[in-house]
Amino acid sequence: MPWEYSDKVVQLFMDAVKGAAGTHMGEIEDPDGYGEHGSMVCGDTLRFTFRVEKHPTDPTRDIITQARYLTFGCTSAIASSEALCTLLEQERKTPIEALQVSNEDLVDFLGGLPEQKIHCSVMGAEALQSAVADWASKRGVDLAAIVPDKVHADEDEGRVVCKCYSVTEPYLRRKIRELGLRSIAEITHALKAGGGCTACHHEPGGLQDLLDEIWATSHETDDAGQATAAETHDTAGELSPFQLGRRIETVIDDSIRPMLREDNGDIELIDIKDNIVYCRLLEPPGGCPGGADRTRLIVERQLGEEVDDRIRVIAI
Amino acid sequence: MNRIYLDNNATTPVLPEVLEGWLPYYQGKIGNPSSVHWAGREVANAVEEARDKVAKLINCSPAEVVFISCGSEGDNMAIKGTADALKEKGNHIITTAVEHPAVLEVCQYLQKNGYDVTYLPVDKDGQLDLADLEKAITPQTILISVMWANNETGNIFPIAEIGKIAKKNKIRFHSDAVQSVGKIPVDVQEANVDLLVISGHKIGAPKGVGAIYIRRGTRMTPLLQGGHQERNRRAGTHNVAGIVGLGKACEIAAAEQKEYYRRVRSLRDKLEDGIISQVPEIKLNGTPDRDQRLPNSLNLSFAYIEGESLLLNLDMFGIAASSGSACTSGSLEPSHVMGAMCVEVTLAHSSTRFSLGRETTEEDIDKVLEVLPATVQRLREMSPLYNCGRTAEGCQTCETIRRI
Repeated sequence: MPWEYSDKVVQLFMDAVKGAAGTHMGEIEDPDGYGEHGSMVCGDTLRFTFRVEKHPTDPTRDIITQARYLTFGCTSAIASSEALCTLLEQERKTPIEALQVSNEDLVDFLGGLPEQKIHCSVMGAEALQSAVADWASKRGVDLAAIVPDKVHADEDEGRVVCKCYSVTEPYLRRKIRELGLRSIAEITHALKAGGGCTACHHEPGGLQDLLDEIWATSHETDDAGQATAAETHDTAGELSPFQLGRRIETVIDDSIRPMLREDNGDIELIDIKDNIVYCRLLEPPGGCPGGADRTRLIVERQLGEEVDDRIRVIAI
Repeated sequence: MNRIYLDNNATTPVLPEVLEGWLPYYQGKIGNPSSVHWAGREVANAVEEARDKVAKLINCSPAEVVFISCGSEGDNMAIKGTADALKEKGNHIITTAVEHPAVLEVCQYLQKNGYDVTYLPVDKDGQLDLADLEKAITPQTILISVMWANNETGNIFPIAEIGKIAKKNKIRFHSDAVQSVGKIPVDVQEANVDLLVISGHKIGAPKGVGAIYIRRGTRMTPLLQGGHQERNRRAGTHNVAGIVGLGKACEIAAAEQKEYYRRVRSLRDKLEDGIISQVPEIKLNGTPDRDQRLPNSLNLSFAYIEGESLLLNLDMFGIAASSGSACTSGSLEPSHVMGAMCVEVTLAHSSTRFSLGRETTEEDIDKVLEVLPATVQRLREMSPLYNCGRTAEGCQTCETIRRI
C-alpha cells in the first residue's frame, strides 16, 4: 500500500529524524510530568516528558515550557509525537489546559492522517494525559476535583476485552464516547482493539455489545451507525424470536448434531440473542490447530443454509 | 537523486529486450492466435515459441505449459482445480504456514467447504522439518503445496526431497516457484513437481502474465471456463504481447542463470556483511546458510526501531526496500511469515527486506551501506526501547533481542 501521508507528516518526521532545530525528540531528565502510552505488543509505544515554569503560589498556573518524546512506531506515530510537543510549547499551555488537546487537534495539525493510522494520534493524547496526572501528583494538584472527566485511574485494572492488544473495558467505554466511535472498524482504527484475532468482535461483552449498549440504538434507525449495521445484521428474517429459536434448535438436532457426532464431536445450544447463536462445541479428538473454528464454521454454514444466512455462531 | 531499487521480490523492471520483443504485438501483429486467418497464424507461432522457451527454462515439454495472468491465478488454479478434480479421492491438503496469501487464503476457503488443511510449521530460521510432512500425510491427502522459495526470507525449501516424499506416497505436488524461477535452477523433472507456478513480472517480463506447468496426465478442473484455449485448461484470449515477453524473459533467464547468480549473490553478500559489521543488535530473518537462501534476498530486523519509519527514511534517500511491519500493510499484525518463525513481535515490526535485481550495482550497495547505519542509529535514539537499556531499569523486551 503506497504511503498516503500529508506533506506535513513527512516533513515533521524527516525533521525529527535529522534532529533539525525546533524538533522535540528526547527525554527530559527529572521531568515535571512523565507519561507513557502503548505497549510493545501493540507495535508502538510513546514516552512523553515535560517541564513547567512553576508558578510561585498556584501550581495550576504552571506553564509547560518544554516537551519531549521518545517513540517506537511508524512515521505517523513519530509525526504525531512531534505535533504534540510543538502544539504544547507554542501555545504555552498550563498542564490542565493541555488536557484539552485532543487527538483530533493533532490530526488537524498534521494535515490529516490515513484512517488506519488514527491510533497513532490517540496514543499521543493518552501519553499527555498520563504525564499531566504525574505532574498533578508531584505538585499536589487534585486533578479529579478540577477536571473529573480527565482522570482515569484504574482503567488498566478492568476486564480485558481485546486480548490481542490488551484493551480494557473501562478504557474502551471512555474512548468510544470521547471519540464518538460507532463501528468496530472505527474502534480498530482509533484504538487497535479488535484488530488481531477478531474474537472480541461479537462475543458476549465484546465490542459490538459495548457499542450497542453505549449508543443504545438499534442499527436501523441510527444514521451515524451505518458501518455498524454492516457489521451485524438485525434479527433474522421475519421470524419472531421464538420461532427463530425453534428453527435453530430443530436444525441443530436434526442435521448439525448428527454430522458432528460422526466425528465424535457434539454441540450444546446455550442461548440465542438476535441472530447470534451461542453454543458450546465439543471438538472431535485429534483436531488440528484452527480446528475449533472449523467446527464453528460448519455450524454457522449449516444454520445459514437452513435458517438464515445472517446467523452468526459464537462458541463459548 | 539516484534511485536505488531493492524490492525485486515485489516486482522487477521490464528488461529492454523484452520490451523490444513485445512492441510489435501492439503495433501490427494484432491477431487472435485462435483465429485461422493470416493475422491469427502470425501470432499463434509467437505464442508457441514463447511456450518452448518457458518449457526449456524449467525442463518440461511445451505441451505442459499453460499461460495464465499472474502467480495468484496459478496458485488458485492448482489448488482449487486439484481439490475439485480429486474430491472423490480425499479431502486433505498439506501446505506450510509461510506460503503466499494466494495459497493460504485458498486453503482457508477450502476449509470452509469441507476440506482439511495441515499447515506445516517452520523453525526460528524459517526452515521446514520434513518429518512433520511425513507425519501429516494421511490416506485422504490429495495435495502437497510448498513454495520453492519464500518471498520474505528468501529461504529455499527442499523441493526435491518433498517431491520424493510426494511421489512415494502418490500425492500430487504443487510448488509456487514465483520467487525462485530465474534466480536459481528450477527443474520440474528433478524435483518431481506436478504443478508449478511462474510469474512474469518477477523475472523482467511485464505484469499480467504468468505460466503454470501441469505435468502430463494431471487431472484438473479449470478455474476459467468458456473457451478452448490452452487445450481447454484455461479459457480466455491469449495475452499475446505478455506471453511473448514472458518467453523472452525466460530465454534470458536460462542463458544468464549462472552469471546472474554469481553477480547478485556477491552484491547481496557484500550488503549482508556490510550491515552486520556496521550495525549492532540486528537479527537475520531466514537461514544463516547463504547457499540455502535466494541469492538476491536479505531480511533483517533492526532492534528497537519500527520498519515503516526506516523504509520512509530510506525512501527519502531514493532507496526502495520493503518491510514485514504491520504499518506498511494497513493491518495491525506484522507479517505472517515472521509470526510463523516466532520472531519476537517488536523485531517482526522492524523486519526489513532488501531484494536485489539484475540492475543492482556495486554503487547502489555502497550507497545503502553509507546511509543505513546512521539512519538506524538516529531512529534508535528516538525509540524509548533503545533508551530504556540505559536507565538502569530492567527491560524485558530488550533481553529478547540477540546479536546474530
